[in-house]
Amino acid sequence: MADVIALFLDTLSFTLTLLLVTLGLVVIFGMMNVINMAHGEFFLLGAYVVVVVTGAGGSFWLALVLAPLVLAFIGFALEWLVIRHIYHRFIDTILATWGISIALKQAITIMFGPGLQSVPNPLPGTIDLAGIEYPLYRLFIMAMGLLLAAGTYLVFFRTPIGLTARGVIANRAMSASLGINTRRLDWATFAFGAALAGFAGAVMAPIMSVDPQMGVGFLVPSFLAVLVGGVNSLVGALLGSALIGGTSTGLSAYLSQADTQILVFLLAMMVIRFFPNGLTGGKR
Amino acid sequence: MWFAHGRLLTVLAWVALFILPLVLSDWNAALFAQYVTYGIFALSLALIWGGAGILSFGQAIFFGLGACSMALVTLGKLPLLGDSAWVGLLLALIIPTLAAAVLGWILFQGRALAGAQLGIVTLCAAFVAEIAARRWDFVGGFNGLFGIPPMTGLDGDILSGFATSYVVLGAALLSYLIALAVLRSPLGTVLAAIRNNESRTAHFGYDVRLYKIFVFALSGALAGLAGALFALQFGFVSPTLIGFGLSTEALIWVAVGGRGVLMAAFLGALIVRSSESVLSSALDQYWLLALGIVFVATVVFAPQGLLGNVLRLPSPRRFATPKKLEEKSRSVGQVEPDAK
Amino acid sequence: MESLQSRRTSDASRDPTSAVDAGNTVEQAIRMYAMTAQRAENNESRQPPALEVVGVSKSFGGLVVLDGLTFELERGAMTCILGPNGCGKTTLFNLITGALPPDDGEIRIRGVSVGGLPPHLISRKGVVRKFQVPGIYPELTVAENLEVPLVAGGPGNGPIRLLFGGAGAKANAERRNELLELCGLSRKFDTPVANLAHGERQRLEIAMLLARDSDLLLLDEPTAGMSAAETRAVAELVVRLRDEHGKAVLVIEHDMAFVRELGCPIIVMVRGRVIASGSYQTVSRDPAVIASYLGKAR
Repeated sequence: MADVIALFLDTLSFTLTLLLVTLGLVVIFGMMNVINMAHGEFFLLGAYVVVVVTGAGGSFWLALVLAPLVLAFIGFALEWLVIRHIYHRFIDTILATWGISIALKQAITIMFGPGLQSVPNPLPGTIDLAGIEYPLYRLFIMAMGLLLAAGTYLVFFRTPIGLTARGVIANRAMSASLGINTRRLDWATFAFGAALAGFAGAVMAPIMSVDPQMGVGFLVPSFLAVLVGGVNSLVGALLGSALIGGTSTGLSAYLSQADTQILVFLLAMMVIRFFPNGLTGGKR
Repeated sequence: MWFAHGRLLTVLAWVALFILPLVLSDWNAALFAQYVTYGIFALSLALIWGGAGILSFGQAIFFGLGACSMALVTLGKLPLLGDSAWVGLLLALIIPTLAAAVLGWILFQGRALAGAQLGIVTLCAAFVAEIAARRWDFVGGFNGLFGIPPMTGLDGDILSGFATSYVVLGAALLSYLIALAVLRSPLGTVLAAIRNNESRTAHFGYDVRLYKIFVFALSGALAGLAGALFALQFGFVSPTLIGFGLSTEALIWVAVGGRGVLMAAFLGALIVRSSESVLSSALDQYWLLALGIVFVATVVFAPQGLLGNVLRLPSPRRFATPKKLEEKSRSVGQVEPDAK
Repeated sequence: MESLQSRRTSDASRDPTSAVDAGNTVEQAIRMYAMTAQRAENNESRQPPALEVVGVSKSFGGLVVLDGLTFELERGAMTCILGPNGCGKTTLFNLITGALPPDDGEIRIRGVSVGGLPPHLISRKGVVRKFQVPGIYPELTVAENLEVPLVAGGPGNGPIRLLFGGAGAKANAERRNELLELCGLSRKFDTPVANLAHGERQRLEIAMLLARDSDLLLLDEPTAGMSAAETRAVAELVVRLRDEHGKAVLVIEHDMAFVRELGCPIIVMVRGRVIASGSYQTVSRDPAVIASYLGKAR
């Protein structure tokens, strides 16, 4: 029984972190029609902000606040420098963001070296949960994940700006002709998506190995989550993250890490084969 | 007439390539041969990407399969097939072709995946392929296969760098001509039509999926050829070959060179690769950063590539209209002359 | 000479079943006789119509777009479909060409049921469609654009066959040159279509339809954005395609002048159903049509 609870909790934490990254991707894609291949690097940068801040003696909590801010700025800068030139060239956005990811990853490697960085766990210790000892920090991660996901959904579905944003997702041209400043929304969106990923990276830093390659490890599952859930749908992001996160964690209890990844990929492929627009059909 | 330069320059480029080994030291000639091998790989990518609009982040899967096939045979791991490099070559052509056909069959199904989704799926496929290769001990597991015997001449001696470069150049020229023949034939026109507007092309009566699978499989064969040549020259095959690292590098070569023109893509690989050797010792780790930035800049500001316009060939001859037809004046949309 | 005849034809005979034309040449009379005889022969030998749509329905989510639609198009005949936006006209075309499968009902092309087949197979049964949005290939040259539909109609159009030139390369080259002449773009065969003027692109598109050489033409708003002169010319061409080449033509249109020029039977669709059909005179006086169009009838 304890195993099941532990498994459930692990699944939840992975899913919620994946959701944070995936939400960022979906928001960027839904709003701007940009597939951001550099998203893994935004995640990575968030983790490195924590490395820098805690390395300089600052508190983890400070880093947690700074990370999304730094990433928002980077996102804004990249949107202005690169992305806005190539909106109409959809496929080229993939290439350009991929190039950005290479450059960012290399920049990190130059600045910090290719090795592992470690970040101290700000909430060490465990808590007694229904008979098992569960790490406190992981519970914190889940709480953060839930909070942010809920916050994002609230903003999108309950606020005027959220309504505007969804209008732009649904019909960009129409929104522009209604006077919505789609340009401003564009860089704001990209910055917001980057911030989400950066926050996720920062939150995960204490329990992951922080090195320049960690971005890809999250990029692939999060892409699969987007494809499975539906590229244009916020609810799809939730569904996809849950499915990928759940399957990954579940399988890794029985199989090796490598086998899990292979199997999850194959299962995702099968879903996409029958639902090319994801399980939510891409409408939203 | 601007385009006529393309043909001339292309021919000159090939001549220069064939002369080059004569003036290089043996060691440099061997290095050159390696770049040309990557050039063949770039050709395979340009064929599907520039030709049919299929953006694959996993082209190296077929490169790796080709390299692996060659390695398995020449290392004697497939006793039924002997250990001749020729058999290895054959296998290196067949296996990737089949794999590409199967992957294409899966990917190009029904309401086909949009270009972007295809890119992502192939990326994930490459990622997973590398993981799978690492786990499989038969193909060397984590370390890969090494000790692959190099190419030998008719006398049984190991080929010099000089000779190797000519073998590879020959293979490259052959690959180029095959890819060119495809793109300049009506098949190429239909592939371009698929790239522009897939639905319209299907409505004209073309089985679009079949076309995509065909060109995907052909490019798989070319990539496999490059992989086989790689194995013979480097002597080892590691799981990273099959992953998205090499795949995306090739995308950079082709994007920087020119995705729409085969020769430009081929030279793109040679140029980027040789620059890397020269510049990475000078710039060290900044090389990769610089490359990333150059890549982004090319995609944004020069999507046709740096060499695309210069090396573009004129239209195929079959399109030329006889001059005398231009003088007749019958046409739709104009008021027609009364007397005839 | 031919053009003058066809102009007279469209001027003189509003009603296509009338065999009497004022001041005709003998040749024209013979042609009209042949046409009537052909139709009689069709009816006699019961050759299946070019197109049959029987009880076809299609819904998207909760929205019913086509509701038990039924009509027929005989070989070598022409019909116009009129209707307000959103009444399902383009969806109907999508179903006929296989872009979407019908929810219910049957679609037959020359007697062969095609419901649910993919577009490329249906196309090979002899249908070509002009889309509402221009369907020319932006990155290709004029000659390349023509090659695509031209080679599609060959006995085999798979990749291997096309690699080696497709069936009848020489005949194709001749036909391509003919079509280039026809649309007045012989000199521009090598031009990328991005450099063509709007009118030239329209002509190229029509030439591409002709290149496909199908017996059933589906034209979705063929005169969209055209001037009055261009509209007339297209009307002439379409009538010629039916008269001289025996093609069956189904036209979706808004332009009443064009429809009148064509002088063919009309089907009026509203919300996925046929509410009236007949000649222009009949339909424009139909109270149901007047009610839906509110003053469009002239």
